[in-house]
Amino acid sequence: MTRADVLVVILAAALLAVLYAHFWSAPTLAAQVRVQEGNQPPRIYALDQDRVIRVRGPLGDSVLRIRHGRVRFVSSPCRGKICVHAGWLSHAGEAAACVPNRVSVQVLGQDPRFDAINS
Amino acid sequence: MPSIPEEVAASTGQVRIATGGADHRIAWLAALAITIHIAEGALPSPLPGIKPGLANVVTIAVLVQYGWSQAAWVSLLRVLIGSLLLGTFLSPTFLLSASGAAASISMLGLASRLPGLGPVGYSVLAAMAHMAGQFTVAYFLFIRHPALLHLLPVLMTAALIFGMVSGIIALMMLNGLRTAHS
Repeated sequence: MTRADVLVVILAAALLAVLYAHFWSAPTLAAQVRVQEGNQPPRIYALDQDRVIRVRGPLGDSVLRIRHGRVRFVSSPCRGKICVHAGWLSHAGEAAACVPNRVSVQVLGQDPRFDAINS
Repeated sequence: MPSIPEEVAASTGQVRIATGGADHRIAWLAALAITIHIAEGALPSPLPGIKPGLANVVTIAVLVQYGWSQAAWVSLLRVLIGSLLLGTFLSPTFLLSASGAAASISMLGLASRLPGLGPVGYSVLAAMAHMAGQFTVAYFLFIRHPALLHLLPVLMTAALIFGMVSGIIALMMLNGLRTAHS
């Protein structure tokens, strides 16, 4: 192997490092959460302040908790508890909803990764 | 082959193309590359798009021994005939293979102008260019999805590793040829 060969391999490895840093960097962390109840205008809360939010829906109160930059449903007066099982939401674009109680939350970031998902 | 008098050849519409030593060599080496290409096609691949590309050992050896244009011929013939034999001619696979070969042979054209490079350097540059060219075509023509970009670092890592392996094999082969000839 010549010296130039070694240089090529080193440069290639450096390129790989750049590629990993660029394409595998952590997804945008959340900054805010948007809470929507029925047809009410959405309310937006910052995720850097820990708090508990009660949202009154047709079935009763859904309780949300914001903690360490994440948000989750703590409880909701629905049967399936899908919203509670969704767990902590921390990345921009993530969402959870309690459809029976007509409450939904969506995490917003500076730079949302997806604005819509078809499935 | 019995030789046909010129006037007879002209009247029967037969065309003869004179072939030289370089043409025969290209044909032999392309045949070798195609054999490796097809044998490799039978191997299972851990991820689509990742394979060792051992046929490039031949391309690199030809580049070092006989220069860029013969290496380009060997590479071109391998892609074309390899795809005809595997039945992928003009399919997406062929398009990816051809774009990769075009990228790597262009890269080798540039690299052969640089001083001091050996088989390993050539092989790594060719493998990286091959993968980059292939990926560009795959992204813009077939699957234009941002998630595909997450694969790029992995694919390029594979290209670097396999490029080094092929380069070392080519280096050993060329050293072996040199000691055999001397």
